[in-house]
Amino acid sequence: MKKIIRNITLILLLASCNTDDYNPVSYNNPEIKLNIPTGFPQLNDAVTNNKPTKYGIELGKKLFFDNKLSANNTISCSSCHIPSNAFTDKKPLAIGIEGRIGLRNTPPIQNLAFMKFYNWDGNKRQLENQPLVPIITHEEMDSSILEVIGKIETEKDYIDLFNKTYGDKEITPERIYKSIAQYEYTLISANSKYDKIKRNEGESFTENEAQGYQIFNQKCANCHSTELFTDQSFRNIGFPINPNTDEAGRARVTGNLDDYMSFRVPSLRNIEFTAPYGSFGQFATLKDVLDYFDNGVLNAENLDPIFKENNNRIPLTEEEKQALISFLKTLSDYEFINQ
Amino acid sequence: MKNLKKYLFLAVLSLAFISCDDDDTPVANNVTLSFNNTFDNTTIVLGEASSTSATVNTSEAGQVHRFSELKYIISNIRLVNADGIEIPYNINDLDNGATVVDHSKPETLQYVLNEIPTAEYTQIKFGLGIKTELNTLDQVRFPNFYAAAEENDTEMMWEWGTGYRFTKIEGFYDTDHKELSIHTGSTLDEDPEDPTGEALVQGVDAYRDIVLDLPISAIVGSNAPTIIIKADFNHLLSGDSEIITLSSGSSMSDNATPNIHTAVQMTKFVNNLGGDGSTNTKGMFSITSVEN
Repeated sequence: MKKIIRNITLILLLASCNTDDYNPVSYNNPEIKLNIPTGFPQLNDAVTNNKPTKYGIELGKKLFFDNKLSANNTISCSSCHIPSNAFTDKKPLAIGIEGRIGLRNTPPIQNLAFMKFYNWDGNKRQLENQPLVPIITHEEMDSSILEVIGKIETEKDYIDLFNKTYGDKEITPERIYKSIAQYEYTLISANSKYDKIKRNEGESFTENEAQGYQIFNQKCANCHSTELFTDQSFRNIGFPINPNTDEAGRARVTGNLDDYMSFRVPSLRNIEFTAPYGSFGQFATLKDVLDYFDNGVLNAENLDPIFKENNNRIPLTEEEKQALISFLKTLSDYEFINQ
Repeated sequence: MKNLKKYLFLAVLSLAFISCDDDDTPVANNVTLSFNNTFDNTTIVLGEASSTSATVNTSEAGQVHRFSELKYIISNIRLVNADGIEIPYNINDLDNGATVVDHSKPETLQYVLNEIPTAEYTQIKFGLGIKTELNTLDQVRFPNFYAAAEENDTEMMWEWGTGYRFTKIEGFYDTDHKELSIHTGSTLDEDPEDPTGEALVQGVDAYRDIVLDLPISAIVGSNAPTIIIKADFNHLLSGDSEIITLSSGSSMSDNATPNIHTAVQMTKFVNNLGGDGSTNTKGMFSITSVEN
């Protein structure tokens, strides 16, 4: 009997040795708690269902910076979302694989864990559903998720990270999406001069900035509200219209004509680093944007009521514009862009 | 020679016996769906602006138009038998139950449903487009359908919405041959944070369920019938729901070339092609005949 057991054990041992080319090791993968800055809204529920972990973030970051996500291994998420530009690319329109030009301006990605809508038209409402879009879009990475998996599944670093994150080395589309989202959830910007003043950390506005803050509260804070500096609504504010006939603003999602050429109110955080401005980069500088508001915007049936009630403009003196720009620069978070 | 005749006779005789032996009706057989894409009763010939052979149609609003490309997705196919029982055909499997009908590829105009249970069928139901729960570009689950839609000459994927294009029509309109480009697809996004699915739903559902009575029963058994389905694209501009006048430009009422990716204006085309989703469940489709 003992002999039989010994033999069986031996066979099992041999069998497992034969089939295993990789020994999964159990790792401790602690959850990384996101620090919610003072005054910020609650985290999205989606974050609760995809809590960032030590290795999940590391894996997501590796994927975010990996050119293999594109068909010809030339474009990564970070090709357009460049950290030192607050995750934008300084180009009017995003440029993808083989120099193909996209429909819109690259949006900065920050504080996404608190945002209810993503992209200029809010077509995605859960961050985990977003990474597939650039991967398959012709003007972006022009690949497919199985093509991506085929490239990374043989790499030891990835095998290692998937194992550390998810407990086994299996690479699935969902795991890729979740990891990228986890990394992006950690991109929280709340250490600007403005924040430090708000938190009484010893900094203070200059006279010019203080004047700008006052004007901001009078003339901008209606839409650019909350500590996110956006009320997350969609509005047509009469900006010059993208000549690309694919563009309809939020209406391309909702089919509602009232949403025609309406776009998500962008956050103003780190705006100093995210020129050019507008959904297709129609303004080179902040001064250009403010001049446009001052001169008057395009009329439209669904123009935002705030503009309609004010003769389609936000009147601003040159002095006010300079002050506003000074204030907006206090929203620059150097720790965030240098991370 | 005499011998040969004898052998032939014997051979024929034995064949006759075999078929007599094999007299039991099979439990299932194929049904072929044959799509005939027309303007009224004329099968469409595709063509560029300069083509002299392309079929030219005139809309109710008086606009001449022609197509250079014509594709649509059929899925969620069900046959209803004389007892009213619905036989679903791989309705949750896009690889084996959905197809891209591409007018330029004759082989795609015939779609064979395999192993349909022996019965007399009186009605067919199918979807123009893909129902929302399957419309996710899931390459792992449905690699074949994904590949068919992804091909460069097909372009039946709607990347930003991570769904499929349901209809893709390219062509020209008016006597000066302005570009016409009409794409449909769902932009539906249910609130991810609401398990009941009742909270904020954004976007439009471009999927349409089509229900067509068969003029005579399709008798599946010994025979493998063919159901000839007419898709009359005259409905695109001159449908039961909308009489559409095409216009080019980028204002919100323009509908001919813009809006390739937008839900604005799209719903009108969807309703004309696939019915309004409530009272009209035929849209442009009708059954020409059933060949048993």
